[in-house]
Amino acid sequence: MRAESGLRLEALPRPPRALPPVPSANQGDIPLSRPKRKKPKTKNTPGSASLEGLVQASVRRPSEGSEPPTKESTEHPEEAPVQRRQKKTRLPLELETSLTQKKTSSSSLLRNENGIDVEPAEEAVIQKPRRKTKKTQPAELQYANELGVEDEDIITDEQRGPEQQSIFTAPTGISQPVGKVFVEKSRRFQAADRSELIKTTENIEVSMDVKLSWTTRDVALWVHRAFRMIGLFSHGFLAGCAVWNIVFIYILAGDQLSNLSNLLQQYKTLAYPFQSLLYLLLALSTISTFDRIDFAKTSVAIRNFLALDPTALASFLYFTALILSLSQQMTSDRIHLYTPSSVNGSLWAAGVEEQVLQPWIVVNLVVALLVGLSWLFLSYTPGMDLSEELMFSSDVEEYPEKDKGLKASS
Amino acid sequence: MLQTSNYSLVLSLQFLLLSYDLFVNSFSELLRMAPVIQLVLFIIQDIAILFNIIIIFLMFFNTFVFQAGLVNLLFHKFKGTIILTAVYFALSISLHVWVMNLRWKNSNRFVWTDGLQTLFVFQRLAAVFYCYFYKRTAVRLGDPRFYHDSLWLRKEFTQVQR
Repeated sequence: MRAESGLRLEALPRPPRALPPVPSANQGDIPLSRPKRKKPKTKNTPGSASLEGLVQASVRRPSEGSEPPTKESTEHPEEAPVQRRQKKTRLPLELETSLTQKKTSSSSLLRNENGIDVEPAEEAVIQKPRRKTKKTQPAELQYANELGVEDEDIITDEQRGPEQQSIFTAPTGISQPVGKVFVEKSRRFQAADRSELIKTTENIEVSMDVKLSWTTRDVALWVHRAFRMIGLFSHGFLAGCAVWNIVFIYILAGDQLSNLSNLLQQYKTLAYPFQSLLYLLLALSTISTFDRIDFAKTSVAIRNFLALDPTALASFLYFTALILSLSQQMTSDRIHLYTPSSVNGSLWAAGVEEQVLQPWIVVNLVVALLVGLSWLFLSYTPGMDLSEELMFSSDVEEYPEKDKGLKASS
Repeated sequence: MLQTSNYSLVLSLQFLLLSYDLFVNSFSELLRMAPVIQLVLFIIQDIAILFNIIIIFLMFFNTFVFQAGLVNLLFHKFKGTIILTAVYFALSISLHVWVMNLRWKNSNRFVWTDGLQTLFVFQRLAAVFYCYFYKRTAVRLGDPRFYHDSLWLRKEFTQVQR
């Protein structure tokens, strides 16, 4: 896998580029194959050397900010001071950012390591001018973006003598901005063109801005308000239906409920569908009014009810109407299955009609009154919605503090 | 962090299941031409309740509050929903079993007894409460505060500990 990525890296165009960060797992792999960390570099072919150097340099990168020189010294405490100096001068080389440079540096290292007696100071002197020429090559000022290159990121000052670099200072190498960025995709780093990436990230940012304006809280609030609209509709529809139903019943039943058999015959097809519709609308209205008084916060709901708040009263009336309506389910089914008493197996024996129907009519009347009254109460304060205030307002309490903080800081 | 698109999707699914539940509760008595129709409606309704329970628990697991180990706080906040949903689920299954048992031979038979009527009223009332509390919980879980550490969360936690 690493070989593949290495090949891909090799195939890239020549201009100097940044080293990709490599997962720290690689750190363990490299020394395993070789007893000493530095030697393998010398044994590799230029191509593989560049790859290995790339990996090694990037592996070392995270630690170089803290204390690489001390680490080096602790690893090889017995080494001669000359060798130590040699390493000190080599550290910046490892920070080389261009592959081409890496090749040259690794080849120079090859000489360096094989012929131990080579003067390190000399080599440093030889390398410096070359780097300086490279440094001036790409001046990518067009990347005025986060992905772009900032001037302070480019280290150009490398003119210090080897004797100036004390062991405890962090090593600095020269670096150049490059046209490639290495993006981790499916666990491997792939080179991507910097300018293209800038474009895509800009696009993402634009779409993110659009999405940020529509948070989950907004969705919740929108759903809550949509349900309140449905509730508002159901309040009115329910009140109208209930009034129409009771008027219809009284008209069919005739004066003083004298014509109950006519009512049963006419109304039997309508009784059960209306019962079902009444339940649906009552359920919707009850839930909606519970929402309005924030029924889940019992203390608030009871306080509002005791204070004879119209919405709290309306929710109580709706709930009562719901219970009353549900209690008539059996009678509604009986009306639904009505057959004249003369028919065999009829549920309606002669004379039982008034006994069964009278309470049913009264309950329906009461339900209609309750529902109508609730609708009136609700229309008195149509905008009241404690749920919205209590559920979504506690955020508002937090934000003023933040705002204050912002104002204070500004 | 909860994504808006994910939350919208989950919320619509929850509302779809709630709407189905409300629809069956309202009109199942009308749709009894054959006992099988009612049976299928009831089975889907119970599965819908079960699905809603699973979804709400998955939403709980997704919150920062839960992931931080403050299960007690989450339970304290939504215990009404959890208990009511469980009660409603039990009531629904028992009513469905009872009704189907009585109507299996003849779906247009008058089956009502006082016991069945009582169970029916309680089940339908529980349905209203379930719908209200479930909807409230689903909407509240859209609050971004549940998905990251905040001063509010710490306050809530200290309140629950007291």
